[in-house]
Formats: sequence, C-alpha cells, structure tokens
Amino acid sequence: MNSGTQNAVAGFPALKEEGGLKAPGLGKPLIFVGSVLVVLVCLFPFWWMALSSIKTLRELYTIPPIWWPESPTLGNYYKVLFESNIPRYFLNSVVISVGSTGLALVLAIFASYGFARFDFKGKPLLQACVLIGQLLPTAAIIVPLFVTLRVLGLVNTYWGLILVYMIITLPLSVWMLTSYFKAIPVELEEAAIIDGASRLGVLFRVTLPLSIPGIVAVIVYAFVTTWNEFIFALCFATDSSVKTLPIGLAEFSTEFNTDWGAVMAASVIMTLPIALLFLSMQRLFVGGLTAGATKG
Amino acid sequence: MYRPSTGLLFVLPALIVLAMLIAYPVAYTGLLSVTDGQGNFVGMSNFAKVLSARATPQAFWNTVYWVVGSIVFQVILGTATAVLLNQTFAGRAIVRSITLIPWVVPGIVAATTWAWMFHTEFGIINYMLTGPGIIDQPIGWLTNRDTVMPVLIAINVWKLFPFVAIMVLAGLQSIPNDLYEAARVDGANFWEEVRYVMLPQVRPVIVAVTLLLVIWGLNSITIIYAITRGGPANRTLITPIQIFRIAFENVQFNQAAALSVMFFAVAIAIVFVYIKALASQPREAR
Amino acid sequence: MTKSLLILATTASALAFSSVVSLAGEVTWWTPNFNEPRARELVEKFQAANPDITVNLEITTSDGLPQRVLTALQSGAAPDIIDVQHGWVNGYAQNGLVIPLDDVLQDREDYIPAALDYVTWDGKLWGIPYRIETHAVIYNRGHFTEVGLDPDSPPETWAELVDVATKLTKEGRSGFAITGGGEVGNTIFRSLPFIWMNGSSMISDDMTKATVNEPAAVEAVTFYTDFFRKGLSPASTLENDGTANRRLFIAETVSMYQSGQFDIASIREENPDIDIGVMRIPHPEGKDTAAILGGWSFVVPSDAQNPDEAKIFLQFLAEAESQGTLTDTFPARKSAMELPRFNDPILQVFKEMLPYGRPVPAEKNWVQISQAYFNGIQSILLGDMEPQEAMDVAAEEIQALLDE
Repeated sequence: MNSGTQNAVAGFPALKEEGGLKAPGLGKPLIFVGSVLVVLVCLFPFWWMALSSIKTLRELYTIPPIWWPESPTLGNYYKVLFESNIPRYFLNSVVISVGSTGLALVLAIFASYGFARFDFKGKPLLQACVLIGQLLPTAAIIVPLFVTLRVLGLVNTYWGLILVYMIITLPLSVWMLTSYFKAIPVELEEAAIIDGASRLGVLFRVTLPLSIPGIVAVIVYAFVTTWNEFIFALCFATDSSVKTLPIGLAEFSTEFNTDWGAVMAASVIMTLPIALLFLSMQRLFVGGLTAGATKG
Repeated sequence: MYRPSTGLLFVLPALIVLAMLIAYPVAYTGLLSVTDGQGNFVGMSNFAKVLSARATPQAFWNTVYWVVGSIVFQVILGTATAVLLNQTFAGRAIVRSITLIPWVVPGIVAATTWAWMFHTEFGIINYMLTGPGIIDQPIGWLTNRDTVMPVLIAINVWKLFPFVAIMVLAGLQSIPNDLYEAARVDGANFWEEVRYVMLPQVRPVIVAVTLLLVIWGLNSITIIYAITRGGPANRTLITPIQIFRIAFENVQFNQAAALSVMFFAVAIAIVFVYIKALASQPREAR
Repeated sequence: MTKSLLILATTASALAFSSVVSLAGEVTWWTPNFNEPRARELVEKFQAANPDITVNLEITTSDGLPQRVLTALQSGAAPDIIDVQHGWVNGYAQNGLVIPLDDVLQDREDYIPAALDYVTWDGKLWGIPYRIETHAVIYNRGHFTEVGLDPDSPPETWAELVDVATKLTKEGRSGFAITGGGEVGNTIFRSLPFIWMNGSSMISDDMTKATVNEPAAVEAVTFYTDFFRKGLSPASTLENDGTANRRLFIAETVSMYQSGQFDIASIREENPDIDIGVMRIPHPEGKDTAAILGGWSFVVPSDAQNPDEAKIFLQFLAEAESQGTLTDTFPARKSAMELPRFNDPILQVFKEMLPYGRPVPAEKNWVQISQAYFNGIQSILLGDMEPQEAMDVAAEEIQALLDE
C-alpha cells in the first residue's frame, strides 16, 4: 500500500541506491573543517570541566591556570559516587525524565496531528494557547503550582513532577511536531484513507514512521529539558527519595564554600549518559524518505 | 472532507492537561498583581510602582538586546551546523552526539564554568590569548561594560545552538529525495541546493524554533544570574531577573506579579505578531 | 552559587510542610547544614539528661534560608526553635512572628552587649545569640617580608594601609583586594564599616534620611573604591566576591584582603605554604575601627507547638559550653570564649575585632537599600561616575525607599 518508506534505511540517502545524479554535497575539506570547529566549540568547556573534575582543590584555582594536573585524582568521583546522594538522584532523574518524556510524547503526538491535519473553529487561538504555559515567568507560577500539587496530594512524588513538567515540555513538543507532521506530504495519507484506513490508522502507520527524526528530536528535547530542570524540582521534591540530579549539584555548596571538584565530577556524570544515549539513537535519526512515492 | 470535531478530539487531551496546570497560576498572578500584601485591592498601584523603578526601562532594553542578540546567532549557527551534520561522512554520529553536549550540560555548571574560563585572572581564555602574545593585557571580559553583555550572549548562544541544530536536522532528514533530484537535474550546486531546497523545507521548523528561542530568551535567568546577578550596575539586568529579584530577594510578591503580568502581555503580543506574520503555511509539503 | 534560585523554591515548599509540627514532649529544631555534626552531638547530650523530651533535628540549607523561615513563620506551620541570622530577628519581632525570650536568658552580663542589642526591640529580647563573628584583614606575611615590611606591625590607619598596599603591589600581584561583584552582602560587609569608622552611615539613626552622600560617607566610599581605581586591587575586582578574593590570595596574587575566620581553614588546606597574618581593619587617623557583626541566634516562633519544652532545650543550648560547641566561629558569651578551640593564635585578632562589631540598621527595605548602594559602588568601579555623583544617585533611591 505504501511504497514510500522502503528506502529510509540507516544512514544512506535513498539517492545512492537509486543510482541517480551525483550529490554535490559540501566537499570533504569543508566538512572536515566544519566538524572540527563544531567539536572544538562544543567540547572545549566540557573538556575543561572534565579536567577540573580530576584535580585536587589545590590545583583548581591557580594563576596561571593549569592544563593537566600534576597529581590527578579520582577522589572527586569517589566522593560523588559513593559518599553522596547522587546515585539515588540519578535514578530519580531517570524515572522522572522518562515519565515526562513519555507522557509529553503521547499527548503531543495526538495534539500535533490534530493541528497539522485538521481545520476547526478556533484552531489558531488554541495553538497560541498551547504556548502560554511557556510564557509565564517561573517566579510567578511556583507558588500557585505548589498549591495545585498540594491539593492533588502529589507533592514529593514522581507523578507530581512529571505532571508539572508538562508545562515546559508539552507546548514546544506540540509546536515542533506540528511542523514535522506538516512536512509529510498529505497525499500519502490521502492515499491510505482511500485504501480504507481510519484516521488513527493513518497516524500510526503512515505519519509516525515517516516522521521518526522529528519524534526523536522531540524525545531529546523533552528528556534534556526535564533532566536539567532545577527550580520546579527544588520546590516540589524535598525528599531525597524524589530529588533529582540538579538539586544534588546544589547540595555541594555550603555557607562559604562550594566543592567544585565534586560539582564538576557530578556534572560529567550528568552529561555523558545523555550524549551516549543520543549516540545510540543515531540509527533512528535518519531520513531519506518517500523517494518516488509521490510521483503519479 | 475532514470533520472539524475530529481534529478537536485529537487536540483535547493535551489542552486539558495544560489548562489544568496553568489556569490557577494565571488567575493567582493576576489577582496578586492588583492586591497588596494584606490582600486589599489596590488597582494599578503595583504596576505604577514597578514601572517607576529606576531599573525597569534599563532592564527592558537589556532584554531586547539579550533576546535579539542571542537568537540571531543561535539560529544562524544552529542551521549551519544542521546543514553540516546532514552531510554523510565518517564519524558523523559522533560529531552529532558531541554537538548535543552544550545543551545537555546543566545550566548552572555551564554558566559558572564559562565565568571561570572568562575570569580576568584565573581564566583559561585570557591565558590562551596572552601566552602566545595575541594580546598583551588580559581582557576584563566580565568587568568591562562593553564586553560583559556580548560575552553573556555568546555563552547563551553556545548553550542553545545545539537545540536549533538538532531540531533543524530532524527537519532536513525529512526532505524527500525527489526534491534534491529535481534540483540536480537543473544543475544546482550545493549552495543553491541549500537555498532552494533545504531552507524552504525546514522553514516551518526554523519558525517554530525561533519562536521558542524568543520565549526562552524572555524567560531565561540562569546564565546571567549565576554570572553577574544583573550587574555590574544593572548593565546585564534583564526583566526576568528583575521579577525574580522583586519577588524573592525583596519579598514583594505583589509587585513581582504586576511585572509578570506586563511581561506576559508583551510576550503574548510578540507571539501573536509572529503567528500572524510568519506562520501561514500550506498543508502540503511543497 | 544557587542562593536565590533556592529562595524562590523554598518559599513555596514551606507552605505545606507537615513534617514541621511536633507532638507533645517533642521539640523541632531547624539548624543549618554547616552545624549538623555538632548539633547532633548536643541533641544527644540533652536527650540523655532529659529523657522525657525528644528533639527532632531538621537540617536546613544556608541557601534560601531567609525565605524559607519567613514563609514557615507566616504559614502557621513552624518548628519550635530556628537558627537565624541576627539581622532577621527584629523583622520577625516587629511582625509578631516570634515570642520574647527574656525569661530564658541567663547570665546577661556574660554576653557580648552588641549581640544582645542586635536582637532587642521595644525593650524585649527576641532571640538568643549563640554565634558572633566579624571580618578582619587577612594578609600574607611572606609578601611583607619580601618588600622589606615588618609582618608583625601591620598597617593600622587608612593612610598606612594605602601605603603598604602600594608597596606590595607589583606585576602579577595586588596589594589589597576589595570586592565588586557577587552577592551584594559581600561588598556591604566590606565597605559599610569604613563609612561607620568615618563617623557617618548609610541611613540616619532614626531611619528617615539617606546619609550615604554626606561628605564623611563619600570620603569612605572613595577610600574603598580607590583601591581598584589606583590599581591596588586586582583587575578582576568587578567579578570578585569574598570567595574569589580568597582564591586569589591562595594563588598568591593578592597580599591582603578582608574576610572572616572561616577562610583560614581553606587557605591552610589549599596552600599550606602561606604564612597567614591577620590584622584589625585599619581605621582613619584618630578614630576607632568598626565592623559589621555577623552571626546567628535562636528564635522561637509564635506558632511553635511546644514553646515550654522548647524553652527548656533553649536554656541548654544557651549554656556557655553548648554555645562553645555549636558555633562555627565564636560564641556570644565571654565565658565560652575561654574554651580551648578558640585559643588558636590565628583567631586572636578576630577576637579583638568583636567589640567593634555593630548591627546593620533594622529597616524593612534594607535589601533594596543595599542593592541601590551596591549599584553605586559598581558604577564607580566601572568608571561611569565619580563617588559623589554615584552616592547622590544612590541616596535618591534610598530616600524613596525610606519614604515608602
């Protein structure tokens, strides 16, 4: 029924398989230079953080700054992994981020499909309304949100945070996914409907598979946003059974001192897993769809 | 052919969840902005007090500077990076993952690390510039009135351009190949491909992303607050931080609510203009 | 680093604290994280001697504490004893949020008078101070010797300080570091005493007039900011707070800077090679030195569940020995000062500074007043305005706040 997806295979634009015209592309030297630049810019501060995480306090703040420590130490990592609450907070963060991402994804897929493919009264208004949550300054909404959670009995629970995080993940997810859905040619869906599929069926069997890069992007967005979110977590999770990683970071500060080595080590621990996760999802983050599907 | 009510059904779950969560905060803030500490109705006096504060106009212009400055570079760099990452080359997966890192690094830690790197004396940046003699005196990046905001904007750009890159890349990945073919048949080179095939196709994505960047820029306090607290002498004070200060350092919730309401109104106006002017798109992909 | 981000959080969270309410025979005590080990020690000791009272210890974070306490006091869900900074107490008293503690206080003469004054209002005592501290100037004795100065006779007057700082300053080293960045409190603690020493203040004693632009005050502000403008304070001053200055000191690029005794431990750990010297804060010729008295007191909220048992526990905490154990810096009682842990010679000068400690004015808009002043200081350091002009601008804003 649907011939469009067969060429969306890992990593290779369908073009090559078609034996079509040679892709101009960017040219190897430019790609190389560009990649090096991107890597340097993105990685440099993180490299500095990683270096700092293996330095002792003595070597952290020197003038002039030291690149590689004379006495590198894993003590900071030991402290973070075995002497602090970070492992527990890591678990909490995973549960909450996965939960938020999942919930946001489900809600957003339906809502975006509705906005992308249908026309109904008040649609532009509703679309704009979706964004409202993200416009409210956090300082203004913390207290009333807290009261809401209290009324629902959700303070200090995973679900409480997951629910509250809808405010920061849902609006963007809906907006982004709407654009990605719109980019899929409507003719494909119309063809499926003519063949007898229901709207839901079309959504799941035609639109979603073709918009996987968009879905992945939304997953990444929701996950990263909730992973690093600090303020809501601070307010609504005061028990270490629910506290998240960003709070764990703040706990390394006392009245006059911050344990920077530990903070850097914890930050490395917070950042690397996500980058690695994304690396493993690269297989899905490809396109090359619908070659020839819309002809005729 | 499409029955309107179906569309509404699709959209309803998300809308209900959001409405539940934000209805009360919006009402609460509105109420707070027109009452005083004891709960008495005071009309617009909170608004007047806030508007007459010395810092308010300065914060407003700083906010404009901050938002516009950040977005321009976030979008340009992000899109350029997306185009690069869309190419096929060995190690692409790794480069893509590395690109993600600035966005993933916790905001506070990124801010303080950059502040440390830019420090006039401890900072590695001055060290790298003065060592080989590129400059002879260390630069007071965060202490000089002309460099402090650009530096903060640069940090903000670094932090968020990966977001743009990933979102635009997802859009690029969805471009049907027959579009490329058609262009090549016409003899287009790479740059023309970019201009006539890629950019128009990802336009909806870039529009949505830019809108989000505006909203985030208007709401962001972490970087500036962690590094300069809005100083020196309010030079980097932006309105969200002013709200924060009024509410939580001065414990004046009513005035903070008034400022939030005004801020909210301005933000809505921007979104409205944006939607009207730019987001008129056909349903088809072409 | 996340002080104020935590503030907004805890404001809301405290609204619904249910863990705070105590049962009969139970006393809930909130103390900050830096006190934790010593607090537990005291709790155990007390409970052993008083088996019918249980102490419920809750550890607070120093970040965001004022807002958390304020909200707890106002929400009616308050603990029985709270550790707060001296400066917050009268604000609570004026709003009826805490109960007077005159009946708990014993051995009034044993207390440093300024500490008791800080928490006295309307003739009653509203808090029991247990910890006091002030700044002094920490200096690198090795640097002194290097330039031919005698490390045992540090500068005592303003003129001498400038002189010594000039001699110590050279390429890669600053003689005297001031703060110009970070949290506002850093600069208030370091510059306001100079204004006091010179006979002036930020606001008049009756708190109706802004006096920060009077000649004596401006002279002090000029003295403070000149360290940077004349190159005796590091180039990075505008981004430095007390902690940054400590780091610069540890890296040996700063020879003298103001701070409290809590820095000594870090300096010893991170650069044991430095021969640390401490001097009193220099004063203008013919006048006395001054400092802001910092520290902590116990208060009992009006809504405390078990005030009577709380008072019994409080009397135990206020004993000289308990204070001597709990405090991070110095106890508020003179007899407790004799304890061995305060005999470290390096603490000698800090002890000497204590009698010169003064409270900050108990004005309800103090936070905004200090912010206005701080903006003025930063404008001077930026080079945008001269001291008189900057202080005139600040005075205008402060006057508006006083008039509210």
